[in-house]
Amino acid sequence: MCVTRAGKVVSASQGRARVEFFDGRALDDVDVSVVNAKKGAFVEVFGNLALGVLSPAEAKRRKQAWAEVVKAMEAVRE
Amino acid sequence: MKADGVLFHAKYAFMPNSLGYCGPDEKGQIQRDLEGGRSDEELVQTLQKFEAAYPFLKLIAKSAGRQVFEYSVPEAYWIGNRLLDMVPVSDFYSFSHREIKGRDPKKVREAFRELGGAAPPHHTFYVMSTYATTAVPDGPNVTNEARGKIAEVVDNCRISWGTVRKVEKGELKVEVRPVGVEDGGLLLNRPAVKRVRYNPEVNPFGAVKGGDIVSIHWNYACDILTPRQAKNIARYTDADMKLVNRLLKSEGSRK
Repeated sequence: MCVTRAGKVVSASQGRARVEFFDGRALDDVDVSVVNAKKGAFVEVFGNLALGVLSPAEAKRRKQAWAEVVKAMEAVRE
Repeated sequence: MKADGVLFHAKYAFMPNSLGYCGPDEKGQIQRDLEGGRSDEELVQTLQKFEAAYPFLKLIAKSAGRQVFEYSVPEAYWIGNRLLDMVPVSDFYSFSHREIKGRDPKKVREAFRELGGAAPPHHTFYVMSTYATTAVPDGPNVTNEARGKIAEVVDNCRISWGTVRKVEKGELKVEVRPVGVEDGGLLLNRPAVKRVRYNPEVNPFGAVKGGDIVSIHWNYACDILTPRQAKNIARYTDADMKLVNRLLKSEGSRK
């Protein structure tokens, strides 16, 4: 299933972008046209579509939240 | 561990993972295991690394007193069955805050306030409610083109289903009812034929034929549905959509 992932637009051209997510992964062909996101923006992405733009403060909160998820999942696996 | 439930779950997890949308980088393992019909410990460990799907299975299994990979558990999550009714709303509420970190907690609270105990831990509800819990869809600047893109991503990510009209090499022509967005709400559009990929090496697709009803995830045919499953996915999808539309309506009324 898809999760809504937050990340940073590191390059963008003609409505498509490379987004680096807080989970350490990246997608090269995210459609950012709906939210009109530019390089440097923080976005939330569902599948390959950016559905929202995050403020830097909200992005920071999401990043911390993601770190908690990773920690919890590691605990589950141990 | 229940082998049939592991493989069932893997069929649905495979395509979004291979597209890089969720789960670990597993380097083709899921596909190899599906093609070989293997459900070993390594596959289980891979499936446990999916950030959202696995916690959902655990929630359903715990509430229903089942094992996580017992067939009926992933079936409840992806297709829908009576196990969904066994999940207490309080558990789903706290789960939604604790496990689904991508969502705005305020939006999650509002969704539960509006829907109460009707919100199910069903994959399609999760997907469709994404539409209702993100900032963009109800915004004043959403164009028809944007609406189309949102409908498309919701349609691809939910589990859809349809009747096979033609079997071709590596592709099926399937009659489906795609998700549309109209007047700020979701609906199923009129039937249309779409091309869907399938893998004949994955059981039971070696024997797929016209008239079969298949489930679809990201334009990939996951499984051939039994009549009971076909009935259930239609029923649960309809219920999910009605709930999400209720949510959208209540959000609209607050603006």
